[in-house]
Formats: sequence, C-alpha cells, structure tokens
Amino acid sequence: MMKTQLAMVIDSSSCIDCKGCMTACKVENNVASGHWRNWIKQHDPDFYNQGLQGDASATHFQPGNCMHCDNPTCVQACPTSATYKNENDGTVKVNEKLCIGCGSCIPACPYEARYRRPDEKIVDKCDFCESRRQRGDLPACVTTCPTKARTFGDLKDPDSDVARLLKGNNLVRVVNRETDTQPNIYYLSMTAPIDWPVKAETPTAIQLWKVINPFVWGFVGLNALGVLVMLGKQLLIKDEPLEVEHK
Amino acid sequence: MNSKMIKRHSKVTIFMHWFNAFCWFFLLATGLGLIKNEDLQLMGGWWSKLMYSIFGSGETLLLFHEICGLTWLAVFIVYMIFGSGKYVIPFLKQVFTYSPATDLKWLIKKNIQMTLGNKWLKRLGFTPDIPDQGFYNVGQKLFAVASILGGIVIAVTGLIMFLSNILLNNTALVQWAIVIHFIAAGVVTGGLLVHIYMAAISPDERPAFFSMFTGSVPEDYAEHHHKLWYDEIKAAERKA
Repeated sequence: MMKTQLAMVIDSSSCIDCKGCMTACKVENNVASGHWRNWIKQHDPDFYNQGLQGDASATHFQPGNCMHCDNPTCVQACPTSATYKNENDGTVKVNEKLCIGCGSCIPACPYEARYRRPDEKIVDKCDFCESRRQRGDLPACVTTCPTKARTFGDLKDPDSDVARLLKGNNLVRVVNRETDTQPNIYYLSMTAPIDWPVKAETPTAIQLWKVINPFVWGFVGLNALGVLVMLGKQLLIKDEPLEVEHK
Repeated sequence: MNSKMIKRHSKVTIFMHWFNAFCWFFLLATGLGLIKNEDLQLMGGWWSKLMYSIFGSGETLLLFHEICGLTWLAVFIVYMIFGSGKYVIPFLKQVFTYSPATDLKWLIKKNIQMTLGNKWLKRLGFTPDIPDQGFYNVGQKLFAVASILGGIVIAVTGLIMFLSNILLNNTALVQWAIVIHFIAAGVVTGGLLVHIYMAAISPDERPAFFSMFTGSVPEDYAEHHHKLWYDEIKAAERKA
C-alpha cells in the first residue's frame, strides 16, 4: 500500500464552468494546442428520466483530470512500465525517457486523460503539477479555481483537507461500471454524470500478447526439452554405432 | 582423427557469426528486461529487476537495447551490400535449397538418433543409412531460414518501435510491432537452444564448433557429416 496517496476532492456543484482550471493547466504545463490535461464535463438536464443522482433538472459541470487510480488500467496496458504507479506519492507517472509512444495506455484510460504529444510523440497527462508541488505549491487548477471546487492533498494523512472531506461527507467515485479503475478523485455525491460512459479498452495487440505468452513459453520450452533429452541421451546412454556409417 | 583440414568458413563468416551471437544474447537479455509490465513478462518480474539493476534504470536499458539493435542492423546491411556476391547469395542458395524426400527422412532419423539412439532407430524399423548432406544439413538449413525470416521481422518491427516517437503517428502499428517483435524473438530463441546444443555441447558436431574459430574442419568430419559438400570439394581438387 502507498504511504502517501495524493488525491482530489471535487465539489462539482460549485463549478461555474469558467474553464479557469483548464487554462491554468495549459499554461503551467505547456499543453499542446488541441489537447488538454484536464476538463469540465457538462451534464445537461434530463426532464424525462427522474431518479438520477444529482439534480437532474439543472445543468451540471463536472471538472476532472487524471484520477491517479488505484487500479490503473493504463499502467496495466503499458508494456515497459513507462507509465507506472509512483510509490512515493501514489500518482500515476510517465517516464518520458522510457515511453516510446506506442499509445497502448491511451484507450486504456476510461477518462481519456492521456494524449500523445504532437512534437515529442510520447504520452502526456496530468501529474498533479509535480514541478509546482516540488516548490511547495498546489496544482495550478486547484490554486486558480475561483469557487474553490477542487481540494487537493494526501489521502493517507488524516489531517489533510481531502482526508477530512472524505470522513465528513458523502463522497463518490465517478467510474465506468464495467471497468472500475478505483480513481483517486472523489466527488461530492451531488455530481453528474455518476456513471462514466467510457470503458477502459486495452488495445487488441496487448490483449493478444497476454494470450500468446504461454504459447511462446511452450515453444521455447519444447525446444529446451528436446535439448535436455538429447543431453540425457548423450550423457547416460552408451550408444551402439550405426552399421552403415561410411559408405 | 588426425586427418587433413579443409577450409569451411571465411574470416568474414566467422566474424558475422560471433557478432550476431553476441548481439542476440545482449538483445534477448535486455529486450526481455524491458518488458517491466509483470502481466506481460514471460520470465516473471525478477528478470526485469535484474536488468534494471545492471543497467541502472529503464531508460539506460532501452538506450543500450536500441544502440545494440541498430548496430546489429547496420552491420548486417553493410554485410549484405558488400558481401552479397561472395557470402550472402551463396549462403541463401544453400539454405533455401531442399530435396523434400531425403530431407524428411534425414529429419526423422536424425531426431530419433539424437534423442533415443541408434538402438531405437533399428528397433523402430528404420534402415541405418542417413541421407548424405551438403554444406549444411537440413536441421542447420531450417534454423538458418528461421533466423533469416525471424531476423527480418525483428529488424522491421524494431525499426518501427524505434521510429515510433521520431516520425510515426500510427500507434496501432507500433503496438502490433511490439507483439510481433516479441513472438519472432521467441521463435528464433527456441531454435537457438537446439543450435547451441548441437554445435557446442553435442560431441558429434564438435569439429564444426571449432571451425567457427579456426575456419576449417578435418576431412573425415566433412566426409561423415557433409558428404555431398566433401565430394564436391574432392571433385574440384581432382579437376585442378
């Protein structure tokens, strides 16, 4: 288990869709044109189907970013572990020097938090503003938010704001029902959508890899077995010579 | 065994053999190490951890794998261009020429002989003659073909991966390249085990092993193991 787990608690009902967090993030992290490390999802009112969680009769804005999940399907899809769960702070990190930009992790994230940088062609996503944290600042989106919808901190520290919010409030994780990645962004239960529509999808090639591994083992193993049999015969059996050897 | 020696391998062939062998071991060890994802790692997590601790970090491991792979490819391209007439085409002709009927006979009998022994060859009702072989025997030829085709696949998929974050924008292509690279390496490695046993451990082929250093084999070995090649050489000698 992680000793530290950086996390966010988001009160989406106070989000006014000002896009301040998106702008601040883009500037802070030099996010390429056409790409974003964070987002605000808009949930439109549904007057016909009542019984949804949250206020179904109002437009609702739900900010989000990489959820630094406890069950990171992106990490599971990365062949080289260039994407990994950092044991020091619980974030999901990308080692840019080990990433060859195969993009396996991109569809593996149900939140579509990942993109391939157009210039370096390696994967990029939210890192909870690592460079800002190193100098003691909060992530840019947290600092910028005018309504303070985002709260950031260490979930494992009982005195942190996020831990207190987690204790005192009815919080939810917004997940896809089929692929629960156990995200570390919590929302106050008055949020929408609550069922995340996008599934985590491991690319076919990577799925096939898992299937094919036993066959590769089997093939190499059969050859090894053949060698062992020949070696055993060489060492243990005194063979009689062939009668017709030299013609 | 004190017979005359016949030249079998040129210095270039010997160099290419050991260069290829070194690269293969290095690339196999580092390549397997790069699969840090334990869901995909064939050997289990310990192999990646071992490679990471030898090379210090994943990025150094990747860098060395890439440098070695590109050097391997560059040397082979130079070899294929400048050695095409003298080495490469004659070699390809040798290893792609088969005579199915006797080859199959050789494969079956040799496999029984190597695993069960001559006694069983007789007991299973086979005649004790084993078809004469040329410069390479069928087993060697098949492994040569596997490593040539495997090598091409590995080189192409490796290049795709290398170029992935330089000029390619097709991520599905790269994902398939990774998996195919892995499978091709696995197939050649299987054959490689048999190749190493035959050449370095089995007593029958010991002179062939030494010839990969000295370049020549004793005449009686050549006559016994590569009769058709031996006859050709003798015929050429008689002509001269």
